[in-house]
Amino acid sequence: MALLAQYAVGGLAVGSLYALVALGIVLLYRTSRVLNFAHGELATFGTFVVFTLLTSARWPFAAASVGGLAAAAVIGAAFFFLVIRPAKESTLLGKIVITLGLALVLQGTAVLLWGTDPKTLPFPLSDVKVYRLGEVVVSQISVGSFIIGLALMAGLYVLVQHSRIGLAMRAVSQNTVAAQALAIPVRQILVLTWGLASSLGAAAGILLAPVTLLDPYMMLDPFLKGFAAAVLGGMDSMPGAAIGGLLLGIAEALFAGYISVKFKTTLAFLIIIAVLVLRPEGLLGKEYRRRV
Amino acid sequence: MRTSIRVAAIVTLMVLIATATVAQTQERGITPTEVIIGTSQPLSGPASFWGLPVTGGMDAYIRILNDQGGIHGRKVRLVALDDSYLPARAVANVRDLVERVGVFAIVGLLGSTNAFAVREYIVDNQVIWINPLADANMWAGFKGKRTLFVSYVSYVDEGRILTEYASKNLKAKTFAVFYQNDLFGQKGLLGVKRGAANAKTKVVAAVPHELTERDFSAHALKLRESKADAVVLYTNPTAGALLAKEIAKIGYSPRLISTSALADPAMFTLAGEAWNDVVLAAYFPLPGTGDAKIDATLANIVKVNPALARTPFNAVGGVSFLEPFLEGLRRAGPNLSRNSFIAAMESIKNWNGDVARAITFGPDRHQGLNRIMIVKSENGQYKKLTDWIEYPVGF
Repeated sequence: MALLAQYAVGGLAVGSLYALVALGIVLLYRTSRVLNFAHGELATFGTFVVFTLLTSARWPFAAASVGGLAAAAVIGAAFFFLVIRPAKESTLLGKIVITLGLALVLQGTAVLLWGTDPKTLPFPLSDVKVYRLGEVVVSQISVGSFIIGLALMAGLYVLVQHSRIGLAMRAVSQNTVAAQALAIPVRQILVLTWGLASSLGAAAGILLAPVTLLDPYMMLDPFLKGFAAAVLGGMDSMPGAAIGGLLLGIAEALFAGYISVKFKTTLAFLIIIAVLVLRPEGLLGKEYRRRV
Repeated sequence: MRTSIRVAAIVTLMVLIATATVAQTQERGITPTEVIIGTSQPLSGPASFWGLPVTGGMDAYIRILNDQGGIHGRKVRLVALDDSYLPARAVANVRDLVERVGVFAIVGLLGSTNAFAVREYIVDNQVIWINPLADANMWAGFKGKRTLFVSYVSYVDEGRILTEYASKNLKAKTFAVFYQNDLFGQKGLLGVKRGAANAKTKVVAAVPHELTERDFSAHALKLRESKADAVVLYTNPTAGALLAKEIAKIGYSPRLISTSALADPAMFTLAGEAWNDVVLAAYFPLPGTGDAKIDATLANIVKVNPALARTPFNAVGGVSFLEPFLEGLRRAGPNLSRNSFIAAMESIKNWNGDVARAITFGPDRHQGLNRIMIVKSENGQYKKLTDWIEYPVGF
């Protein structure tokens, strides 16, 4: 039983980070109908900015984090404004290819600026200090990441569901033309959404880097897992993305523990296939219907 | 008119014959002023932690050599292509290097799986190949090795020796293996199994992971469940560092034993305290362990490329993989051809380079290195535990 709980706790900790990644993906997809395959690289870039501000500029952690989040937001927003918006007539696939291009550019730039050797991101919480709940062990950083992750999710929920900006985001996501007719500044809302989603990704990166080490490829796996979590929860549902992330984290840990550690990574892809076949809208997504 | 046509025809024929003769005598990749060599390395992607410093080390060493005039008046030109550690790209790169670039030799090529993927092509085309950075054991029994020269470590023998050492000297009775799920990790696992069988100890768990994985909490728990006295690592530096931290976090403290692939001092920074008291293999004296020649070589290549200081073991490793090739060039003399080069390589006996040590080849021996030593990490430094331990020459 203690072992089961230990697997579940590990899964929850990593699942909360998958959820953050998934939220960024879903937020963008809901609002601009773009599947951003550069989400992971934006997150990595933001995290590298934090690393530089911490180690070279000697900023305090909180200020450096704000700097990293802001950098990711600016790059994300600029990418929308300078590339995605002019290409608004392109197909969904075309936009995906554009985001893949951005991913390669960001990855190459990160390699050029920071090299490929893994780095340790100084973090105020300890990866070594642990808390014991009976036989279950959880590190200080896992607890901290989980709480920060939940807080960010809650903050995003409040922003989207209970603020005027959130209302505008939802309006744009449902009907751009109608939103424009109601004098909602659609372009600004989309820029803001791209910035916010990129910041969310960077937040996940900052929380992940102390436990996964920081290098230009650190988000490859978490991005795929975040994407799987978004599909699982529903691409248009933010609570779905959060629940999808947590469920995927726990499912992976239990699968590795009790079925096969060898195929742990494969589970995310199996889940994507199963969801697309059995419930394409995801656990909490709304079924897509079109009048013909 | 007829006469002039005849003269023109004869002249054309002579030019064609002369061209063909020159083409026959001039070897691929050799000009009077240059020798072109190629390599395929993971210069991007998760394995670039190895690929970039190894290639950087080779490149810096070649630049120093060329600045001193090259070898027998020829400068060495290295063409390095990126394969991202993907076998399909390694195959495409090698074909490109041989058929388009026209290299004299392939030097290096990192990754057991990648080397496995290209070996048929290289051997079938009789391309000179120095030091595929792959388990040396995979060449034993492989066809036509006349153009292949290997002074890289055998993971199977390394894993076996490490396990036998830990069984005897560290009193480890049970072993678990944490390995990268590809040919590199699988060969290491095989070696550990052989070592345990020889020492009459047991491998109680084998826990694989994929190259891009970063969450090892479940892997650490699996290893803890096994209650193994020692955990042997056949993985990449990121995964090795993260796992070492993870098992420390959950209160599991087996003896950590590691492949030489994790010998870079960067591990002390990545894993912190968790990289203390780790037993590792080394196939040349590690930088900073008292070998003045290796430390001087490192200092020289760092002057050319300061980024190499961050990963010193991998950087001088790059030099060690290149050096036997350069020695072969020196011994082949100014009249360089493939045959003269092979004969020159086969004349290398118990040869020490700036980094590579005790390299021996011969007409019936193309495995130039057959020994490792065992070291231990202690307070941010590596300390020698054994002298050189030899293993049988396989080819």
